[in-house]
Amino acid sequence: MHPILKNRARLGTYLLGWVPIAALLAAQTAVKETPLPAALILGLVGAYLAAVLFLSSFFLCRALPIATSRSSTLISTWLTASLVMGTLWTVVMFFVLKQLGRVYPALSSLGEINVVTLLVSGTIGCILYILTVALHYLLMTLEQRQESERTEQELRVLAREAELKALRAQLNPHFLFNSLNSISALTTLDAKRAREMCVLLSDFLRKSLKLGERTTVALSEELDLIRNYLAIEQIRFGSRLAIEWEIDPAVAEVEIPTLLLQPLAENAIKHGIAQVMEGGTIGISAALNGEFVEIHVNNPVDAEAEAPQGLGLGLRQVKQRLLGRYGGRTFFEAKIREGRHEVVLTFPQHAQEMQS
Amino acid sequence: MSERTYTALIVDDEDLARAVVREHLAAHPEIQIIAECSNGFDAVKVATELKPDLMFLDIQMPKLDGFEVLELLDPQPTVIFVTAYDQHALKAFDVHAVDYLLKPFGLERFEEGLQRAKARLGSGEPSRVQATDLSASAKSDWPLDRIVVRDGTKVTLIPLAKLDFIQAQDDYVLLKTAEKGLLKQQTLSSLESRLDPKRFLRIHRSFIIQMDRLARLEQSETESWVAVLVDGTRLPVSKSGYARLKDVLGEA
Repeated sequence: MHPILKNRARLGTYLLGWVPIAALLAAQTAVKETPLPAALILGLVGAYLAAVLFLSSFFLCRALPIATSRSSTLISTWLTASLVMGTLWTVVMFFVLKQLGRVYPALSSLGEINVVTLLVSGTIGCILYILTVALHYLLMTLEQRQESERTEQELRVLAREAELKALRAQLNPHFLFNSLNSISALTTLDAKRAREMCVLLSDFLRKSLKLGERTTVALSEELDLIRNYLAIEQIRFGSRLAIEWEIDPAVAEVEIPTLLLQPLAENAIKHGIAQVMEGGTIGISAALNGEFVEIHVNNPVDAEAEAPQGLGLGLRQVKQRLLGRYGGRTFFEAKIREGRHEVVLTFPQHAQEMQS
Repeated sequence: MSERTYTALIVDDEDLARAVVREHLAAHPEIQIIAECSNGFDAVKVATELKPDLMFLDIQMPKLDGFEVLELLDPQPTVIFVTAYDQHALKAFDVHAVDYLLKPFGLERFEEGLQRAKARLGSGEPSRVQATDLSASAKSDWPLDRIVVRDGTKVTLIPLAKLDFIQAQDDYVLLKTAEKGLLKQQTLSSLESRLDPKRFLRIHRSFIIQMDRLARLEQSETESWVAVLVDGTRLPVSKSGYARLKDVLGEA
C-alpha cells in the first residue's frame, strides 16, 4: 500500500508540504526579472508536477528495502533514478510552460530550453526527487514499525490463548477413565477405599478447575495438586508406585505459572512407572539456589526401551511456558541418567515483570 | 445340559483392572481363568505354554503392548481388548478382536462381549490372522519403532536403531544386529511396508539395509553393485535397488 495515497489526510499533508517548494521555485525565478504572477505559476506548476510524478518513487523504495539492500546498489539506483526523473520533470515542465505561454505570453520565455536552464532545472529536479525518496523511506519504515508492533501484540495474544488451551488439555481423559475403572473395581473389593478414591478424584478435579482460572499460583498449591494426583495414581498402581518428596519450605510462596509442574508428574507416570514392570520411585524436589528456584523430577525408565528422541509434547509445553514467562532467566533440561529420566528446571524466585 | 468350558487369560498391568474382569467372570463357571499376567512378556510366555481359548487383553502395558502380544501368538486366542483408550478400536477390529471394552465398563457390556466371544469359540472359526495381514493392516502405528520376535517362550525386542540389515529367508526374515541374528515369521515386503523408507531401503529382492550402516558402494566385475556396510558386511545390490539408492543418496 502506498504510504501517502493510503488516506486523504496523508495526501493533503503531502501536497501542503510542496507549497514551500513552490514558493522557493517562484522566488528563484522572480530574481531573474520575471513578472511575479509568471514566477508563481512556474513555482506551482513545477512543485505539483514533481509532487505527482515523484509519488512513483514508492515503487523503487518497495523494490529496494533500505534495511536489506546493499548500499552500493541503493546509491547507484537512486542516482540513476533521480537523473531520469529529474530530466523527465524538467522536460515535462518546459512543455507545460510552453503550452501555457500561448495563453499567458510572459510564460513562454520561461519555457525556452537552453543548456543553462536544463542544467539548473535538472539539478533541482534531481534534488527534489532524492528528497521525495527519503520521505517515502521514512514513512515506510514508520509503517513497518507499527506493523511489527501490531504482530507482536497479536503473537502475545496467541501465546496466551495457546497457554489456556494447554491448561484445559491438562485434564487427561485417560487418567480419568483409568481412575474410574479403579473405583469400579474397588466398589466390591474394598468399599472404603473406593470412597477414598472418589474423594481424592473429586478434590483433584475441583483443584485443577480452580487453578485453571488463574494465571499464577503459589508453588505450594501446585505441589498440593501433584500430591493429590499421585495419591490417585498410587491406588491405581499399588505397590508399583512410591514417591519421595524433598521440598524446601522457603519455596512455598513463590508464584509460578499455573499447572506448570503438573505435566511433569503426569509424564513421570506415563513414560516412567507405567512402562516399568516392577514400577519404582518418583522423586520430586524443590529448593532455593540463590535467587533461583530449582526443581527436579525423576522417575525410573525401561532400561531396554529406545531412548526418546527430543522432548514429548508435554515437556515441550513446559519448556515453552518457562521461556515465555521468564525469558532467558530460566533453565530446562530433560535427560536419562543412570536408568532414570530426570527433568531439571530453574527459574527466578521473583519474576521481573508479570507479562500479560 | 452341560455347557462347553473354555480357558481364559487376563492380561493387564493394573491389579484393580484385572480384578474387575475376574469378578465379572466369577458368574461364569464355563470360563476357567487359568492365569493372570501383569505385562506383555509374561502374557506371551503363559499364552504360548497354556494356549488359552480366550484372552482379556489390555493395550498399554510395560514392555510389550497388547497388539505386540497378539502378533507373537500362534495360535491366536479369541481376544477381547480392555482399555481406557478408544483410539485403538479400528486397529483392534483389523486384528479380528472379538470385542473392545472401554474402561470402565458395566456388567451388561461385559456380558455382551463374553457372549460374542463364546459364539466365536463355539463356531470353531479360526481366529488366527496371518502375521502378514496383521502387519499390513496395522498402519496406525507406522512407522514401526521396534520389532518383536518370539523364540519359543522367549520374547526379544529389537529397537530399529540396532538393526543393521534384514534378509529374506523363505517364509522368514532374518533380523541382523551387531550381536546376533533373529528369525521372525514374516515376509520381507510386509515388514518393508511398516518401515520408514528414509531410514530403511530395499537394495535387493532379499535385503533391506538401515541407511546409516552403509559405508560405500563397490562395483563388482560383472557391472553389478555391492553394498559394503560399516562393519564390512558385503550385500548384493540389484538394479532397481541401485536406482533406489541413487535416488536417496542423490537427495542427501
